[in-house]
Amino acid sequence: MPGTITKRGEMMRQYITRRLIQMIPILIGISILLFFILQLAPGDIFSTMMNPHMTAEMKEELRHQLHLDQPAYIQYFYWVQGVLKGDFGDSFYFKQPVTRVINTYIWNSFLLSLVSFILSVIISIPIGVISATRQYSRFDYFFTVVALIGISIPSFYFGLLLIKWFSVDLKLFPVSGMMTPGVNFVGMEKAADILYHMALPCIVLTLSSVAGLMRYTRSSMLEVIRQDYIKTARAKGLRERVVIYKHALRNAMIPVITIFGMWLPGLFSGAIITESIFNWPGIGPIELLAVNNRDYPLLMGINLILALLTLLGNLIADITYALVDPRIRLK
Amino acid sequence: MKKKVPVFLVLLLTAVLILTSCSSSTSGSDQNQPQQQAQQPPAQGSGPVDVSKSESSVVKLIEASNPANLPAAAKNRPDTLIVGTTAPSGKFNPIYADSVYDSYVTELVFDGLLMNDEKGNPTPNVAESWDISEDGKTYTFHLKKGIKFTSGQELTAKDVEFTYTAIADPNYDGPRMDSVMDLVGYDEYHNDKDGKVPKLEGIKVIDDYTISFTLKDVKASALISDFGYGIMSKDYYNFEKGNIQKLKDLFLKPMGSGAYVFKDYKAGQEIDFEANPNYWKGAPKIKNIVMKVTNADTVIQELTTGGVDVDIVAARPENIKMLQDAGFINIIHYPSNSYGYMGWNMRLDKFKDKRVRQALMYGLNRQGFIDAYYKGYGQVCNAPVSLVSWAYTDDINKYPYDPDKANQLLDEAGWVKGSDGFRYKDGEKFVIHWMTYTGSKYVDTLIPIVKDNWGKLGIEVVPELMEFSTLSTKVYDEQNFELYNMAWSLSIDPDPSGIFAISQDVKGGFNSVGWRNDESEKLIEQGLRETDQQKRKEIYQQWIKLANDDLPYLFLSYSDDAYGISSRVKGLKITPYEDWTYYIYQAELVNP
Repeated sequence: MPGTITKRGEMMRQYITRRLIQMIPILIGISILLFFILQLAPGDIFSTMMNPHMTAEMKEELRHQLHLDQPAYIQYFYWVQGVLKGDFGDSFYFKQPVTRVINTYIWNSFLLSLVSFILSVIISIPIGVISATRQYSRFDYFFTVVALIGISIPSFYFGLLLIKWFSVDLKLFPVSGMMTPGVNFVGMEKAADILYHMALPCIVLTLSSVAGLMRYTRSSMLEVIRQDYIKTARAKGLRERVVIYKHALRNAMIPVITIFGMWLPGLFSGAIITESIFNWPGIGPIELLAVNNRDYPLLMGINLILALLTLLGNLIADITYALVDPRIRLK
Repeated sequence: MKKKVPVFLVLLLTAVLILTSCSSSTSGSDQNQPQQQAQQPPAQGSGPVDVSKSESSVVKLIEASNPANLPAAAKNRPDTLIVGTTAPSGKFNPIYADSVYDSYVTELVFDGLLMNDEKGNPTPNVAESWDISEDGKTYTFHLKKGIKFTSGQELTAKDVEFTYTAIADPNYDGPRMDSVMDLVGYDEYHNDKDGKVPKLEGIKVIDDYTISFTLKDVKASALISDFGYGIMSKDYYNFEKGNIQKLKDLFLKPMGSGAYVFKDYKAGQEIDFEANPNYWKGAPKIKNIVMKVTNADTVIQELTTGGVDVDIVAARPENIKMLQDAGFINIIHYPSNSYGYMGWNMRLDKFKDKRVRQALMYGLNRQGFIDAYYKGYGQVCNAPVSLVSWAYTDDINKYPYDPDKANQLLDEAGWVKGSDGFRYKDGEKFVIHWMTYTGSKYVDTLIPIVKDNWGKLGIEVVPELMEFSTLSTKVYDEQNFELYNMAWSLSIDPDPSGIFAISQDVKGGFNSVGWRNDESEKLIEQGLRETDQQKRKEIYQQWIKLANDDLPYLFLSYSDDAYGISSRVKGLKITPYEDWTYYIYQAELVNP
């Protein structure tokens, strides 16, 4: 029925537009909250500038240049003024436009997070499904233990362990970095070089996220295979494979897919510890540096992007939910 | 010049972040060594010294046992030297670089008027010679002819004028202001936002190769502190007064007359350089240099796998051992130009009394702490001067651990032991709230020792841990503390006015402890106005003795810096006052 489809599409369009418009006041609210919360932390970028060649008056002059001598709400208006013109200001620490700083690092984080995200989905969903169908089997127990380890092991420790094993002892992978220094590969060679450097940090990130996703899939699957329609499917004489992978899995995936939307900001936020250990040039360590240096413009920039992505992620989750489950109506 | 850069911050951050995060990045040294070095004659014009034949008594060498054990990774890059570094911030400009890491880049790409030798004396560089006027206020520099920027243009006095005028720009927001603010006409130029004052009066170009700087007052530290910054090409960097943004837009395209040409910067990863074949001191022997970002947690692994050839490591026995085991790594270590201390708020009654301060110094087993933390690569500090400074003197009170003496001094000061074992004066219990920072092994080792030692004297110590920026705000901006601990990384010049002058006892100033000693003030002033180095030395040694007796700080520790250097690198010179960049153009790569 083409008419129904159009109607549904129309509703969806309206729904998305409405949600997007709603985001504007939410983002303004977030920006105000963020700005004032950041100001609550004691000190500013000059507090940590331990340079005896810089007298108190010189610091005062520099504070004045950055409007740091003004009350917080005035500083906020200066900031908003810039943002309305599309200018997120200059990072205090890097003395470069915030957008340029973020753009330099965020895609490296995204690359690393995306690859490990894809890997963890590929690994965890099958394991989750098998664990559920063979509940309390050795397979199930084994991966329950693995999941526990993955959740509990601190990433800095696991990272150092991998470096010891694979870089120092076996000499298989480089200790750190994203590309071989001093060599400018292009094309496929460059991609291969990056993959080679990415292996270890990727393992660390994947292990920690596999655990959660696997347990999530397992419990969702367990719930579904106890449903009546699965019993019906089996009673119809369908093969077990078809029952599990066609009927059960699809329904079990509904809640799992929706959490992917929530992962969207995570793909861009950077993994502070893992990126630091492996000197991966991501946004994570930059965020930490911005916090330690009270680099307000940079912190505002990064956090607003993450806020926006969180809102978009929620929206995407809601939409996917409606798409995969026809029972859900968007209003 | 080295460490003229606000390295102070860096040290502290080192102390907080790198150093202390797990593996310290600066640490101790040989115990007998400072005395020797203080007497060493100045090594005038010393050329590059092969690390394996270091003549310096300050720098200790642990030679590689098996140079042939070089990993394939390093052998495969015969033309490329990889030096590890903490990630620079990308401010690759001589007047903006505010970390040592950014300065390494500017030192490779730019040349300054002067350099410094191992002892911290100014030496000729772009300026072949210099004269100082009778009244000590005017410095005239004679530039070497024929020095060319890599753009092909000759470096002349107008480039020097441009560089220093840029620092005085009304919109300049970098860390070098102090190097021009004492020039005649600085205020007029700097405060003129409308462009009515086109020139800085104190800087005069006499001819293409002669330039003079006139100061408002004698500043003995000027030569070593203010004239080392890289000279920028006026043609390349020129901007209209006030529009200093143009300079910032060129951060990632630095161009100078230095030994290396800046090729590429991958933020957070590496910086690539290529030798400048026309370098005026002679073409560098190493064709390519890569500065690769490393971190304190894995630097040993980077060195032992051949991922980097040169890097700074925390001078700790376990690190040295791992590097030694690799066989092909030479290790050098030397006392760093810094010291660790505890600052007490002398505005508070309990710290006003000199006897109390001395009692706390005698009553703390500092040697025990140094042994526990630096394990042989650090020493006890007794005065606010670095071990490697020409002003250092050993003729001071060493405050050996002596609880009896401490108790006696506290009794004299009127702090009497009560029945509960704690000391009281006028009904007030002796409690010290000690603010310190989180994530530091140094602090973690120090806390139990301080609590125990001072506890035995009848003093309750309450440590409060906080994030570093918070601590520094409370200490400097608010002066709201009883006791804190931090470290200073020092300039080459020993002038202590930036830290201990009474004028610095303001909120935001660095005399956070509130030391107001007239004698000290007099000596600091004398030291700054005396241009004869021998006389200056006497003045500073007097001041050091005063500080050692009056104790504005509880002096804690000196630590060592250590470098791991692959045996394929020959002729690299690194000393406390000379960065690896100084003589890199003479170093070479070999296949051992």
